[in-house]
Amino acid sequence: MVIIIALVAELSEGLASVRQMIERWSQAPQGSRVAPARHARVAAGLSELERWLADQVRHGLAAADEREWAELSRRLVDAQAPGVAGVVGRLGAARSAADWPERLLEVYAMLQLLAVGHRRAADLPDDLARTVRIRVGFPVSREEVLAGPAVRDLWHVVGRREETRDRLVARRVWLRGRTTGRAALVLSFAPVGHALDDSLVTGEVVDASMAFYPGASPLRALVSARHDDVPACHDAPASHDAPASHGAARGGGASPGSAGIASGGVPPGTTEGEALDEVAAALAGDPWTESWPLVLAGVVPSADWLGGLRLHPRVDTPWRLIAVSGGGPLTVAAEWTPRGLVPLTTWDEQGQAVIL
Amino acid sequence: MSVALVGTDRRPYHGDLLADAAVELVRRRAGRVPDGEPPPAAAPAREEEQEAVSPAAAARLGAILGGRHPRLLPEWLAVAASTGRRVPPRLLPELLDKGARDRSIRPFLGVLAGRRGRWLAGLNPAWSYLMAEPTGESWELGGHGDRLAYLGELRGSDPGAARRLLEEAWEKETPDDRAEFLALLGEGLSMADEPFLESVLDDRRREVRQQAADLLTRLPGSRLAGRMVERAARCLAVRDDRIMVEPPAECDRGMERDGIRARPPRGTGERAWWLQQVVSRAPLRIWDTALLRMRIPEWDREVRSGWVRATVLQRDPVWAKALFAWDPLADLLAVLPPEDQDELAADFVHRHGVDGQMIMVLGGASTPWGRGLAHAVLTKIRKVAATQPWNLDELARMAGERIAPADRFMADGLTEVSSLLGFRAEMMKELR
Repeated sequence: MVIIIALVAELSEGLASVRQMIERWSQAPQGSRVAPARHARVAAGLSELERWLADQVRHGLAAADEREWAELSRRLVDAQAPGVAGVVGRLGAARSAADWPERLLEVYAMLQLLAVGHRRAADLPDDLARTVRIRVGFPVSREEVLAGPAVRDLWHVVGRREETRDRLVARRVWLRGRTTGRAALVLSFAPVGHALDDSLVTGEVVDASMAFYPGASPLRALVSARHDDVPACHDAPASHDAPASHGAARGGGASPGSAGIASGGVPPGTTEGEALDEVAAALAGDPWTESWPLVLAGVVPSADWLGGLRLHPRVDTPWRLIAVSGGGPLTVAAEWTPRGLVPLTTWDEQGQAVIL
Repeated sequence: MSVALVGTDRRPYHGDLLADAAVELVRRRAGRVPDGEPPPAAAPAREEEQEAVSPAAAARLGAILGGRHPRLLPEWLAVAASTGRRVPPRLLPELLDKGARDRSIRPFLGVLAGRRGRWLAGLNPAWSYLMAEPTGESWELGGHGDRLAYLGELRGSDPGAARRLLEEAWEKETPDDRAEFLALLGEGLSMADEPFLESVLDDRRREVRQQAADLLTRLPGSRLAGRMVERAARCLAVRDDRIMVEPPAECDRGMERDGIRARPPRGTGERAWWLQQVVSRAPLRIWDTALLRMRIPEWDREVRSGWVRATVLQRDPVWAKALFAWDPLADLLAVLPPEDQDELAADFVHRHGVDGQMIMVLGGASTPWGRGLAHAVLTKIRKVAATQPWNLDELARMAGERIAPADRFMADGLTEVSSLLGFRAEMMKELR
């Protein structure tokens, strides 16, 4: 929190000229192999973004024009700031929500925070500066991640979701360490129609070392080593030669497509209060965090609630979760988002994982 | 917020609006406390009394619900329900959704859903039908489903007692209940029911009257049957080797009381419609199947379809066999005892090409198929596979679904049929 307040306190300074930007970036100690030319382009792109945002605020959100977003997004791609470009490109979704003025203001505010953070990266703590650069869209190489320290634990695979965008399927797998209590996210990608990395199956526990991407609230990680006879499968690009039968063979067998899976037991959960503290800590490190995997213990689900926490408004009544609960408390893995929780997995009386 | 909406040009803001918004936003996200009190939760479900099906059986049900051989769902449910077990809670929402769309599986769900299922059905109006399925309560205290089940069972053991129970309660029952209760008298129907049924012909509700008329039609000695004989005799006359037909000129009150509908469906003439109904409600024993060989110069279609309907309504196996030769209908097959069904269907398969009609006819044969029919169908599949394999999808699927899994050896070499039979054999084993 302190960091954010310090950061935003600087925002009112006014806009630096593009020239100053370029100078600052070229002087700034980078510690990264990215070419200075790219930094210059990114800085120019972000400063244009800042100006654009200032214009939006002067003219009012009501005047927001969707064609402008597409154009801006395209220019940010050209400026090699794909992370920011992606956020701008998704503004349309915020615009179509019922409470779009609030949503739009939220996105604009967080974009501005990112742009200013990038401009002032030299003044930020290393971790936060790194987070800012990653959010802007500077890639981190796998080698760099794998070269860093790894966290070995028994990792519960608590949820998995696929999303298709631009003919690419992205798979998110969320994990929680049994002893460290750490949260992790493993991403993998494959073109539509191709097999994704299937080495992490919801409900299983894997003995593995996780190498986290750098940043102030590290979440995304790579499996750097597995200690349970299953070869480590790293994220993108998906390896097509990965043994396709892993999931089924280890998932308990004769029943592909079934909701129940041979289990690695129920992961340790937290109270609602502890979970919110964890989210607060994640946000204090990385204020742009919009997703965080939680495991709640002893919560009673209902149509719109998980214990005392609201579900995401777009989540339908979680009937399967309610059925398993029978009105009693249980352990539920859920994705925290700023708009509410999205249930991922629960565990039934036999300790079997039930995908929600 | 309102400042942001119209813009700071029009409504000045002191400070950096976006920066302040960002601080506020992150402060709110990070500082969130539990969102407040959720609505008071429903009382938890009571402990289950029934044992759950085995994990393997549950996993297979999950696979079927997930789209693997979805047409085997009714069989899985029927076999599982007959063991008195329940399904694990995680599968209940999908099953209850299926039941909401498909009435035929509801009786199985009544057993399989267990207490958790009933508790769940209480939370979702779309599943409230489950409450109407029997739970084992008594006639006096039970819900609609329990009372239906009670009456049905009593009818099976003591038909007279069941009728008397219904007669006593008759005045207090709702019209919907009356129609459903009355339908139960089809089991163990006898002339002892005739006076009661005759009196029900004056009921206020048409569905109830229709139900009573349908039952009386099955009693050749009933007063209704007698009246129909007279009406039919006025319509049909045999001259030499022809049947001369004169349809009713009107549909009078008495005909309507006996279950004949005055208004024809669209596209059917009034007199044709009345004729067909009179023939279908006259007791079949007044005719002879030899009539089927005679020519009917006029109204041929109406008379014959009347006989078909009469055969189905009166469940007459002699006529069903005779008519099937003339018009192979699944409904006629269903009237026959299983051995005859098998024989007739096997003969039909033997002589007929693979087409939609064959599929329809086979749909009327009770399951599992006997070996005769299984053999005929498998032989057909082997023969046609050589020439028109693209025609066989549905027939092969039916064979896999309807042949007894124990007869799997008969399908050796037919991969699709054989693997489906294997799937079902496993399924049965898991449910034992």
